[in-house]
Amino acid sequence: MIKLLDKPLRAFTTYSMIVLLCSIPAYFIIIDLIWVHEINEHNQLLAEATKKNLVRLNSDQTQLLAAISLWNTLQPKTKIQPVRALKNDSTYNVYRKNNYNADGGYDRFQGLVTYVEINRQPYSLTVEANVEESYETIIAITAITILFFVILLVGFIKLNKNISKRLWAPFYHTLQQIKAFNLSDDQVVQFAPNTIIEFQELNDSIARLMEGNLSTFKRQKEFTENASHELQTPLAIVQSKLDLLIQDDSITADQSRLIEETNNALSRVSRINKNLLLLAKIENQQFLAKQSINMSLKLGVMLELLTNLIETREIAFQVHAECQVEANSTLTEIMLTNLLMNAIRYTCNDAKLDISLFSDKLVVSNAGTYPLEDQKLFLRFGSTSVQTPGSGLGLSIVKEICDRHGWIVSYNFTECRHSFTITFNSA
Amino acid sequence: MKVLIIEDEPQLAANMISYLSGQNYVCELASDYSQALAKISSYRYDCILLDLMLPGGNGLNILEELKRLKKEDGVIIISAKNALEDKISGLELGADDYLAKPFHLSELSARVFSVIRRRSFANANIIQHGELTVNLPAKTVEVCGKTVVLTKKEFELLIFFIGNRGRVISKSAIAEHLSGDLADMLDSHDFIYAHVKNLKKKLSDAGCGSYLKTLYGNGYKWDI
Repeated sequence: MIKLLDKPLRAFTTYSMIVLLCSIPAYFIIIDLIWVHEINEHNQLLAEATKKNLVRLNSDQTQLLAAISLWNTLQPKTKIQPVRALKNDSTYNVYRKNNYNADGGYDRFQGLVTYVEINRQPYSLTVEANVEESYETIIAITAITILFFVILLVGFIKLNKNISKRLWAPFYHTLQQIKAFNLSDDQVVQFAPNTIIEFQELNDSIARLMEGNLSTFKRQKEFTENASHELQTPLAIVQSKLDLLIQDDSITADQSRLIEETNNALSRVSRINKNLLLLAKIENQQFLAKQSINMSLKLGVMLELLTNLIETREIAFQVHAECQVEANSTLTEIMLTNLLMNAIRYTCNDAKLDISLFSDKLVVSNAGTYPLEDQKLFLRFGSTSVQTPGSGLGLSIVKEICDRHGWIVSYNFTECRHSFTITFNSA
Repeated sequence: MKVLIIEDEPQLAANMISYLSGQNYVCELASDYSQALAKISSYRYDCILLDLMLPGGNGLNILEELKRLKKEDGVIIISAKNALEDKISGLELGADDYLAKPFHLSELSARVFSVIRRRSFANANIIQHGELTVNLPAKTVEVCGKTVVLTKKEFELLIFFIGNRGRVISKSAIAEHLSGDLADMLDSHDFIYAHVKNLKKKLSDAGCGSYLKTLYGNGYKWDI
């Protein structure tokens, strides 16, 4: 993953690198051509002038030979030699060891060989001039190119930063706001007005999407709450009718059993309904008041309540460290009840239930034979089946309450033990 | 004992009246807000069962009106909303109890019983059933003048039975009464056997007649 603005930066950098790399041979070839051309011209002029002067000397053979000898000695870069025949002019390019320079490196020479006939004797005239060495040229060009590339790169990065700061600032701002958006907070994100059309359109579209989502979510919550409310009265009617029915003296044992079974099923419907309503209320943030809660005290009270009802199970409650949390008291009680009852429900009669409290977490564990499906565990109605007579909402209520408080609830199954861990935030 | 039922759902109201009448309560019905206002200002009731969502107005206003009229009637709010705020504001306005729909009629009857007893003078707070004497405020039970020590749950159970005397109470009603919200989580109502058994044994050991009858193994009845 790379940032949006790094993408063109990479492309620009690569492109400029290729261009600058190509420019190195191009510069070299052009500079070298100009060099050689200029040196050739210089050699030509020198040679022509020398030839003319030699011919104009009009001296005899002895004088001429002496003059040539003297010339060859004094002028190191030219040489006059007798040859057998006249030829066309030619040029050459050589590297020769430098005898005069201290470092003793090789020097590059551009030479011209031309021919002249003096006193019927053909002579070759060689004129040489020192040319800048190719590798030196290349090194110089490369160095300059790299320097410019570095300057370009620094420029690109700086420009990129400035552009991202100014031009893309609204985009990143919008991004931050979307990240902070939480459906259950019921807060529409307020985008600042923007002068750039694209950003304004983006913000408008996102705001529209969010509003749509929020209203759908709100409608869903309202639906759950209303449906639950509406169900309470008919449930109350059925319940009261059953209560009246059992008052009848003529009821047989079989009928009485049927009524009791109906009562049990009705209780289950009522508790599902109650729990749905509770979930809707938690989502609607109807439990906002927070207070400091001492977990070990709270757990102690809950356990006392529970052991009044369940005498057959052994419960081991260990406090490893005191745990103080900032939370809604009602919700915390509901969460603990659900968690404990869930553990009790799935524990065999003789098995022990372990509750361990640490400074930052609570672990409730009990023996079990098969791991639960942790994917569906905290989903609404995710774990209901014929074998589990619960409302199927207990753990999703635990999850919802944990989410509200920024706690993390997790489940794992190790060594034939189910364990549920609530990690409280360290604050 | 006069009970006013303020409830707009006719079937539920009829069932409540039917059950409570069998308990020797005189029941009257108000099925909307204006009827309810008219009744509370003209008569005195021992207990008012108040549904908060009424055609024509909010039940909480009736509570305010009662307070304004300086009426001493006991009030039990019956609401489908089971909202904490309603419960709190209702109790703050002088309601004695709060019962969320759906509920067992036996639970309702027990609540009416305890609201009326709580509001009565001290001598009415002592229930005399033959050899059995129950002191409600002191939470003590005597049989033939001898104190019987009951646990908290057993005492609750006894009051629940007495508050529903002569009526059959289902196991699930007892379970919900004893465990409150925890009943939601309990799959089996077996735990009530132990409590009922212990209560029966303690009373009969002290020489109390067997008023508590088990019916078909599925319900209980307190017969005098």
